[in-house]
Amino acid sequence: MNIIEIRDLTFTYPGASSPTLKHLTADIEKGDFLAVVGNNGCGKSTLCKTINGLIPHFIAGDMTGEVLVDGMNTKEQEIGTLAKKAGYVYQDFENQIVCPTVLEDASYACLNYAMEDYEAKGKEALKVCGLESKTDDYVWQLSGGQKHLLALAGTTALSPDILILDEPIAQLDPAHADGIYEVLRELNETFGKTIIVIEHHTEYITKYCKNVLLIKDGAAQWKLPAKEAMRRTEELRKCNIFPPQVAVAAERLKKEGLLSLEERLPVDIGEGVGIFAPILRKKGAVKRYTQQMAAERELTAGFENVTVTYRAVKGEPPKIFDGFSLKIGKGEKIALIGSNGAGKSTMLKLLMGLIRPEEGRVLLNGVPAADIPKEEMGRTISMVYQNPEEMFIKDSIRRDIEYAMQVRKTENYEKRTEELLEMFRLTELADRDGRLLSGGQMRRASLAVGIALNPEILLLDEPTANLDIATRREIMKTLQMLKGVTDTVVIATHDMQLVCDWAERIIVLSSGYVIADGPKEDIFADMYVRRQVGIRPPQIYDMARELGIEDSCFTIDDFTEYFRGEKYA
Amino acid sequence: MILRNISGVKNMRKLTENILDKFSIDYLRNQVLKNAYGNDDTVIAGLDPRVLLVWYLFFGLVPWFLNDVVFLLGLFLFVVMTTKAARIAPLVLFLFCLGVFSQTGYLFIAALFFGGSLDTAAPLLVMTLKVAIVSLASITVFSGLNPDRLANGMLWFGCPGQLSFSISFAYRILPVLMEEFQNILLSYRLRGCPPKKEGFIGKIRYLGYQVKMIIQSFYPLMLNTAKRSRTTVEALELRGYRYSIQNPAVRRMKLSMLKITRADLMFIGISAVWVCADLLLSVLISR
Repeated sequence: MNIIEIRDLTFTYPGASSPTLKHLTADIEKGDFLAVVGNNGCGKSTLCKTINGLIPHFIAGDMTGEVLVDGMNTKEQEIGTLAKKAGYVYQDFENQIVCPTVLEDASYACLNYAMEDYEAKGKEALKVCGLESKTDDYVWQLSGGQKHLLALAGTTALSPDILILDEPIAQLDPAHADGIYEVLRELNETFGKTIIVIEHHTEYITKYCKNVLLIKDGAAQWKLPAKEAMRRTEELRKCNIFPPQVAVAAERLKKEGLLSLEERLPVDIGEGVGIFAPILRKKGAVKRYTQQMAAERELTAGFENVTVTYRAVKGEPPKIFDGFSLKIGKGEKIALIGSNGAGKSTMLKLLMGLIRPEEGRVLLNGVPAADIPKEEMGRTISMVYQNPEEMFIKDSIRRDIEYAMQVRKTENYEKRTEELLEMFRLTELADRDGRLLSGGQMRRASLAVGIALNPEILLLDEPTANLDIATRREIMKTLQMLKGVTDTVVIATHDMQLVCDWAERIIVLSSGYVIADGPKEDIFADMYVRRQVGIRPPQIYDMARELGIEDSCFTIDDFTEYFRGEKYA
Repeated sequence: MILRNISGVKNMRKLTENILDKFSIDYLRNQVLKNAYGNDDTVIAGLDPRVLLVWYLFFGLVPWFLNDVVFLLGLFLFVVMTTKAARIAPLVLFLFCLGVFSQTGYLFIAALFFGGSLDTAAPLLVMTLKVAIVSLASITVFSGLNPDRLANGMLWFGCPGQLSFSISFAYRILPVLMEEFQNILLSYRLRGCPPKKEGFIGKIRYLGYQVKMIIQSFYPLMLNTAKRSRTTVEALELRGYRYSIQNPAVRRMKLSMLKITRADLMFIGISAVWVCADLLLSVLISR
């Protein structure tokens, strides 16, 4: 039975010159777990907003065709009726939480629709979403992942038959991402909800979703079972979606004639074993890694026995660091990983001299960081925030980039600004307000602002969070380019692909302690560390492990190497 | 000797650091948060908002009409105790002291200083006490009670639903705004180039620069907030905000959680007994 039927839907936003959705027709069955995939701006979010009635009731525009939800035409229904049928969790979910405490927010919608048992409903939803222990907390006490669960709880409390989530895991570390999807699976299987996710992560699509709907240029291309869809590597790539790495690897082997063309492409590790194991030629070492460790480098920054406590709003002040020591060498490319609240941001702030350690010292080129005047600091060290909006303090990107140089009366700053704009491909956008750019453009602009003063050390806080995969690739390219420009770079991140492609040294933080420090080969091989902080290497790494390959494979190129040459005796 | 000197210098530096530390934005943020969210388990916070509002009506109005020093002193002592019970953040108390002093307190001291006897100072003392009582009572009610409960209390007294929602929403969004503001200010600090703060003129200019920076930070803050609010507005619509305003049943359900408990009765009782005893005392003394 179809719970949603969309017939020949065309929608144009007010003021737009061409329609966002063009003659879109699709059916969604009751109890489905559907992933909607497609390019940025292909109309995925718009489509979802037609299901819960925001379009056409709240967002005006030109709509033709019809959307039937559970047999009701959305045009004829009130938005309140539809909201109870289809719940929506936004990509910027933080802004949909409107109450100060957790329970209040979870039961808010039920109270508004005058349901007598609103509190019980809210509690029930919190329980399903695993937030039972947080019932009486304030919203600001929650971590990013918990806030997402709360947004979900606030939506499920109304017990809608359909749940729509816009990029649910874009800003979460793998452990929290798994948490969200487990909750969704539970809602789907136990409670029989129809789940629709807008998702780019193909690993999650193969693992959790039942069907995939591909949208291209505002129209539905096809709807297929998830695994089937993931094998359409060519079409996915055209829509800027990166197919599972194992599928890509198999495809490459087929092209080289190493794998029979009849074989189906594998989409997960389980299928991969069946395909790859018979044709694997060797398992031993292919190449050696050389690593210059910190000890041999000239020291640029260091933590000596640093202790930091935070001001508490209530109760004992929490200790973030206790006797923390670390050395950072000149020219190192460091990835700082660890779950939320492990102390990553605090570490960056200490380096910037924004927090004074209570005990111990933080040294930058031999001088305590907090003693360096802020205006001189800019030439030594610079930081790019997680939220690029907070970097824009002027009304155009050009003025933002030149600001720091201008006030320091740097010679030829106009020329340098032009160069930076050119380098980050921002010349055409130079006179626009940074806030109004797309996600990727905003990141590029914030990076340009960050390196304007040509600092020796650059700190980046989650540079790829919240971006779709195509934009992430683009930012990664920019970061590779930065390698030649800025000497020492430290990135705090959850993005393991970024870690693998870019970092030379990985530091793993867990509740204020460095629990691992070394090259990626060592870190990912350490199962204890992996479990402790919930980090996950790229799929291809685990595939190689599963096949018994001794060395670490971080890229598909590394992996395919094992299928070439002489058969291993 | 030298060692001692070094430690002296160190202490000195620590002291200046401490004072500087007190005025950082981070500290302000912490104090605001502490005041809004840190005292939700106090006796005062647990009281019924309606009771507190009525209580405030008495302590906010009555002192203006009385001039008896003993009686006012008694009331003052009482509100000092309620303020203590409400666990108000130090910054708010500091602002209170500054406020009272700038209103009347300085006149009181000036009067004493320029040879005025206690007789001339007495009327000023009365005025200062009045201002202090009313301010402390306001602090007790408005910062001791969490804004959300306060909003419900006001709803009961017939304030429109939009007002009570605004208060509650402000309460939710405050930490978000504070953090954003802090980060924007940081952008200015890290990228800007403040004037040298040497000499008196330099210090003044430095201060001027800081103020300018804070004012300039509001512009990006407003724009970022506007960007956020797009989702919030849509979400409110989906979550039935518009329906709740129109539906009287929602108002009734919201208010049904307001309950007068034994603690409320005790609070009223103690207040009443205190005021009566105080009155009695002042009558006895003036006789």
